[in-house]
Amino acid sequence: MSWSINTVSKNLKRCCFAAPAVVLWICASVGAKAQEAALRAPSGAVAGAATSIGTSGSGSATLYLTGPATALKRDVQLGQDISLSPRDLHSAGRYLAIVCSPECSSVTFFVAPSKPSRLTFLVHPSRAPVGLNDVISGVAIPFDEFQNMVIAPSNIEFQLAAGGAAPTSRTVQTHDGVAWFRTNSGKTAGALQVIASWNDVSAKRVVQQVASDPCSLRIKGQPAAKGILVETEPVHDCSGNPVPDGTIVTFTAKNGNQTSFVDAPVKQDVARATLLVKGPVVVSAASGVAMGNELRLNGKE
Amino acid sequence: MKTAMKGLAGKSAQSLAIAAFTLLIGMQLSAADGAPQVTLNVAKAGPRTVESLTGRVIVRDYRFAWASLDTAMQTNSTDPLNGLLAGTASSWFGEAVKSQRQNGITSRYLNQVHKVDAVFYAPEGDVIELHDSAEYDLEIRDGDKAIHNEHARVDYVVLMTPGADRWVIRQLQAVPHF
Repeated sequence: MSWSINTVSKNLKRCCFAAPAVVLWICASVGAKAQEAALRAPSGAVAGAATSIGTSGSGSATLYLTGPATALKRDVQLGQDISLSPRDLHSAGRYLAIVCSPECSSVTFFVAPSKPSRLTFLVHPSRAPVGLNDVISGVAIPFDEFQNMVIAPSNIEFQLAAGGAAPTSRTVQTHDGVAWFRTNSGKTAGALQVIASWNDVSAKRVVQQVASDPCSLRIKGQPAAKGILVETEPVHDCSGNPVPDGTIVTFTAKNGNQTSFVDAPVKQDVARATLLVKGPVVVSAASGVAMGNELRLNGKE
Repeated sequence: MKTAMKGLAGKSAQSLAIAAFTLLIGMQLSAADGAPQVTLNVAKAGPRTVESLTGRVIVRDYRFAWASLDTAMQTNSTDPLNGLLAGTASSWFGEAVKSQRQNGITSRYLNQVHKVDAVFYAPEGDVIELHDSAEYDLEIRDGDKAIHNEHARVDYVVLMTPGADRWVIRQLQAVPHF
């Protein structure tokens, strides 16, 4: 907690620099008035908690209180503590209290956030391929009930739970109000629950772990009414997860110097295509970095 | 060989120093026109590296936000802050402007100098935390009467997030010290 006191008394300076002895009593009088408006900053003020500013002197004065989300003005009595309600101090930060009677004195003080009551939790990505290093990351920032960022160190527990597997957790202390982690994706496709918690405050996010790129391709084919009908066996990634529908498999047919391509999306684990070729052809397939076997077939006219 | 290595290391260090100096100069926008002066140091930022272009955009938007904040507090209008603040920062300054207007108070933030350190940049680049050691002349008036003048030194913890075409301030919270 740090605070400072500042007194604005231009009239007092002007008066005292005038110097004639006959006005000394006036200086003393005005000086006494400035002394009267001395303020004492509250110590240990916390957001949403009542506190008070001490004053000395007597008589009425006007209080101005400016803060991150407030600029109030009200009449106060000097010599009495000025009560500040919880509503006056919702926002953490620097406050400036000014009391004018009519000379103005001021004091600054800080209001600290209260305890965390909410976690802002950013997790990326929403869909992650399985088996990748450091692909999932999360950032947690604790806030109190008044939306103040809690900068004091707090221990945030991150818990990751995928269906069927035992949850894993780690505790990270906030640094400058932020805790974060980065982790690998699992081996199995499915929902990964990521939970950040501080005591009984928690936030949950879900990362959909999806199959990675196809690992290998096996194709089979047969002559069709026109050309050749080719299809893959169920396409899996290297962890055995079926690749998502829409994954593109490119079939290639070579007949001497002629080459033709057909792109086909995986649908229910299998990609199919009809190649409009005639005569003997060599058919192969590829998806991502995976290559399939070669087939030698005869296309019908 | 050892001398050559030493010379090479010296040259590398010199190049790095020049690059860092150039970056710092590049990120500094002068206060010649009375607008806020903002310098950004990204050396402490992590885990993600702040790219040069990102740093420049953050400086531009932070500087503009503070200039607009001064205008908003001087005119008691939230219009200048539209699109520059979001979330808590927006609601806090909205409330401050509203209560200033109700009580006939105005504020000025003059001769602003902001020395800003990026202390956290999220892995995915969706939030950055800044520590701003700010200095400005704070002037508060009740109607025509000046009730407070001070040269304030205030430390701010700032959260900014990227928007469609700019970085916006989400949290601007003064702290006693970093």
